[in-house]
Amino acid sequence: MTAVVSPPADLAEPRVRRRVARTLIPLRRVGLRARLTISFALGGALLSLVLSLIAWGLTRENLLTQKEDAAVSRVVTNAVTVRNGLSPTADIEQLLGSLPTPAGSQPVIEYKGDWHAKNAVAFGEQALPSELQATVIGGDAAVFRYVYDGEPYLAVGVPIPSQDAAYFEGVSLIEVQDALDGLVISLLGASVLTTFAGGLLGFWASRRVLEPLTDVGRAATAIAGGELNVRLEEEGDADLDPIITSFNEMAETLEQRLERDARFASEVSHELRSPLMTLAASVEVLENSRDELPERAQTALDLLKADVDRFQTLVEDLLEISRIDVGAVKLFPEEVFLPEIVIQAVSAAGTGPVPVIYEDDASEVVVRVDKRRFGRIVANLLDNARKYAGGATAVRIEVVPADDEGPERAHVVVEDEGAGVPVDERQLVFGRFSRGSESGNRASDTGVGLGLALVDEHVKLHGGRVWVEDRADGRAGARFVVELPVVPE
Amino acid sequence: MGTRILTVEDDERIRTAVRMALEDEGWTVEEAENGEEALETFNRHPTDVVLIDIMLPGVDGFEVCRSIRRNSDVPIVMVTARADTHDVVAGLEAGADDYLTKPFAPKELSARIRALLRRVRTTDPGISHLKFGELEIVPEEGLVLLHGEEVHLTKTEFRLLVELASSPGRVFSREVLLERVWGYGYFGDGRLVDVHIRRLRTKIEADAANPRHVVTVRGLGYKLQT
Repeated sequence: MTAVVSPPADLAEPRVRRRVARTLIPLRRVGLRARLTISFALGGALLSLVLSLIAWGLTRENLLTQKEDAAVSRVVTNAVTVRNGLSPTADIEQLLGSLPTPAGSQPVIEYKGDWHAKNAVAFGEQALPSELQATVIGGDAAVFRYVYDGEPYLAVGVPIPSQDAAYFEGVSLIEVQDALDGLVISLLGASVLTTFAGGLLGFWASRRVLEPLTDVGRAATAIAGGELNVRLEEEGDADLDPIITSFNEMAETLEQRLERDARFASEVSHELRSPLMTLAASVEVLENSRDELPERAQTALDLLKADVDRFQTLVEDLLEISRIDVGAVKLFPEEVFLPEIVIQAVSAAGTGPVPVIYEDDASEVVVRVDKRRFGRIVANLLDNARKYAGGATAVRIEVVPADDEGPERAHVVVEDEGAGVPVDERQLVFGRFSRGSESGNRASDTGVGLGLALVDEHVKLHGGRVWVEDRADGRAGARFVVELPVVPE
Repeated sequence: MGTRILTVEDDERIRTAVRMALEDEGWTVEEAENGEEALETFNRHPTDVVLIDIMLPGVDGFEVCRSIRRNSDVPIVMVTARADTHDVVAGLEAGADDYLTKPFAPKELSARIRALLRRVRTTDPGISHLKFGELEIVPEEGLVLLHGEEVHLTKTEFRLLVELASSPGRVFSREVLLERVWGYGYFGDGRLVDVHIRRLRTKIEADAANPRHVVTVRGLGYKLQT
């Protein structure tokens, strides 16, 4: 539909078009449904990731701040205890042991240049960042976060200048780390779930969105198939109804235009009938007194008569075809024995005697046809053979038993011994105003090329098909095959 | 005096050309260019055959057909635009005996007219007085009686009834009736038979919807019930 309303592509600025094309084509290859699903999933993933990051960041800050606050206030208290307890004779190890420190907390004391730790091997002077040591010994309290021995640590240091000492405490953050790791896993799980849910939502939403499009597609297919009166029902949806309305308007315009074209063809041929009537009757009056005319006038009369006949056939064919185009053709089908009607049609065609050949199995075959139109089908095929192939050599009736391609059917075959029809022209010969092979003998051609088109239309109206093929016996010539459904016994 | 034909056609050129073609057949042709003129001409001096174009200005062909039919059984051929419209059936129901579609060959028209002129009332003496219940056929006098009273049939309706009565109980296919009554070959229009049978029934059946004499044999044709 977009293609119909958009301006011609050559009006667009080429550079822009190229760029747009380059970015759109890979996406276009994926269906709208898949694109929507992917978009929803990506959106879900992105949203949940952002939310997870924020949640993780906030939780981390929160946990760390708590830990830090607790550590700082404890360290300050402990530092007071250490200041009071320190003396050159004091047992520093005992002092360290008496400090109230929770599990994972490592007290370290620097006293007059010597380091004392509760657990000097695991966490002593070496475990404290030198920068922290320098800052604290320099006289300022400090808090540091760092990694030691693969574990995150928080270290708080308070200088005790009155004693020429400093008190440090290292607190393992491994618990916080574990908690955060757990949180990351939970958040990742939630993100995956959200992505999946987003995808599902996209799939569902796209179905909702595409449902009307499916209807539009179905309607368009029906219209293309000739059901021009197909329309979509308004859904009462503010977003969809404009599309539905414009689709219906398009269908309406199309129907009207086709109708107008067909009506025009029909009216033109109707208008031609009155002058033709006068021509035909006048030519006949002249014919009746042909003998009284001079020879030259007789020749002129023959020319006139031949072309009036041809004109008449053309107008009749045009009328019939335009009737078919507007769907105004009404068949009067009757069930008849096929050989009987073929023999009648061949003799009524007036193209001279042609043998009708069939086996016993065909003699009882019944078809459902409009006799007058069946007569035209046979007459036009015989006429075609007369014009292009020196006349039909035989009309064969063949029965095709039920097989994979369909139920039992009958073939009426008009054979000739002309040049045959080249493979690439076998479709074209059934087109309107097509004159068949360029190489064919058309020196005396009086055809106008509607005959086979009419055969095609009439056979279709009878639920059959027609095609042309080579002769089965390998000789030059064509076989025009009309396939009709057989009425079961 | 020879056979006289009235042609009703509003196009002057067609009328003239058709008149000349029919005159070449040895017939006398009266012309009318509209319905009113046609009825006036016909009532003043009835012709042997009437040819009516359905599309006429003013009083249309159907109406002319019905008006003539009210007091005449003259053979009527109508000219329609197409064979597959309702016009054909409507024309036949208005009383036409046969139809042609425009443009037709004058030779075809002459053939139709000759077939209609052959449809005379009386038949060969091979068929004598026939009686089917309250229905009586007196072929030699061209009479059909229902409850002893004469029924007015057109020549075509009469021929149709006599044809069926020639072999009571035998089923006649549409093709056979078309050939015997209308003189058509295999490709005649079966609606000619159907509409005339319908018209015949309204005249000779007590209840045309449930015919007792002329009955339909589904898929085969018609027969006269004995």
